[in-house]
Amino acid sequence: MRRPLIGLTAYAEHVQYGQHDLMAGVLPMTYVKAVHATGGRAVLITPDDPGTDVLDSLDGVVFTGGGDVDPANYGATPHPATEPDKARDTAELLLMRAALDAELPVLGVCRGMQVMAVATGGSLHQHLPEVIGHERHRAASGTDPLAADAADYGRHDVVVDEDSRAHHYFGRCLTVNSFHHQAVADPGEFVAVGWCPDDRVVEIIERPGRAFAMGVQWHPERTPDLRSFAALIEAASRAQAVTAA
Amino acid sequence: MRPIIGITTYVLPATWGVWRDLPSALVPHDYVESVRLAGGRAVLLPPDDLDADVLGRLDGLLLAGGPDVDPARYGADPEPLTVAHPERDAAELVLLRAALDRDLPILGVCRGMQLLAVAAGGTLHQHLPDIIGHEKHRLAPGVYSEQSATFVPGSRIAALLGDDATIHCFHHQGVADAGSLTVTGRAVDGVPEAIEDPDRRFVLGVQWHPEVSRDRRLFGALVAAATGDKEDPAACADR
Repeated sequence: MRRPLIGLTAYAEHVQYGQHDLMAGVLPMTYVKAVHATGGRAVLITPDDPGTDVLDSLDGVVFTGGGDVDPANYGATPHPATEPDKARDTAELLLMRAALDAELPVLGVCRGMQVMAVATGGSLHQHLPEVIGHERHRAASGTDPLAADAADYGRHDVVVDEDSRAHHYFGRCLTVNSFHHQAVADPGEFVAVGWCPDDRVVEIIERPGRAFAMGVQWHPERTPDLRSFAALIEAASRAQAVTAA
Repeated sequence: MRPIIGITTYVLPATWGVWRDLPSALVPHDYVESVRLAGGRAVLLPPDDLDADVLGRLDGLLLAGGPDVDPARYGADPEPLTVAHPERDAAELVLLRAALDRDLPILGVCRGMQLLAVAAGGTLHQHLPDIIGHEKHRLAPGVYSEQSATFVPGSRIAALLGDDATIHCFHHQGVADAGSLTVTGRAVDGVPEAIEDPDRRFVLGVQWHPEVSRDRRLFGALVAAATGDKEDPAACADR
């Protein structure tokens, strides 16, 4: 059977590489490699061309990490620490709603999980340190909090609801990396099924009774633990088999 | 539904936002915008050489510019100024050969044209200034040189560009032998600037950068050929 084709939402940003400095569609290769390592074929969808027709060609979508969602999308005024990516918001909220309506399997990573909540009527905490009183969910970029010699900053456990679909993938407890300053306050049409036990920050959301749709607040693509990607690819393969039948 | 055009990507350490020199898949926005303005829907294709199944979901293939093709691909030893990226060669040649088998519309830009020539059994000049004695095809980093090209009457490229043969170049290698393809355009100094396969529906390579001016004539022709593919029931049977 053909590998499921997985769309990855990408950035459209001013990028520097070599001697160049220009607008580009761009995404860290870690996401691409995570999709390929779990049996999918990755293509990138840039936000500069909002539209949903591309979904007809895909078997699944990963909504990737990135900047903050504009609080106007959930009826809040911006916090000083909020740095929205409005171009991605427009394109990804459109894509997310259409993908959920079409029952296309979707995985949300970090910002992608937050887009899931906002796209279905939920809301976010705009600056987590003010809600929970510490900064341990935000490791420095470029670090690996899961490395053997790393301090426990930016690394924590996640406890998973035993009655959830996520429990099937992760079991009761796992340890994750953490690079975010916002978090899901209200998961909208999704259900919170995983939390950081220290502060009850929501770490996993899913959409029960529908096609695979799961959001994780950490960055599995930067770790060897690709169970969330494998879950997406499995669901996308199943959906592909049903469509082909 | 708009035809879907797959654009091959670079893989490079890139810097943006909070990221510094992070290995990334990227393609200049000019390519995506050129496809969009021509009525297509672009998706980016990061390198992957396992199979070419993704072509089953695409209506056209755009081989973007980038680093030099590994000279081993055309039986030559690397010269001092050749900077190859074998991972990209492997992935793009898998896609290109399968796309040719399917007669999928293909546009090759700069490196993409050179790859078309190599896949057709041709060879490249590894550093043009050594051959032609000037640097007019690559003036300076990030600077496109405006030149004038001459096209073979009756060719596809001549029909598309009409009387306006102004081109924007940025390359240090060039096609030496186009293999089974036909050279249909040349710069004033004789360097091949356009190659095509008259026996296929749409296989065109240009040595210049039409995405910089978002040239509707070229990208429009690619999208139109890709749209034709969608309307052909036989071509859609394996989707």
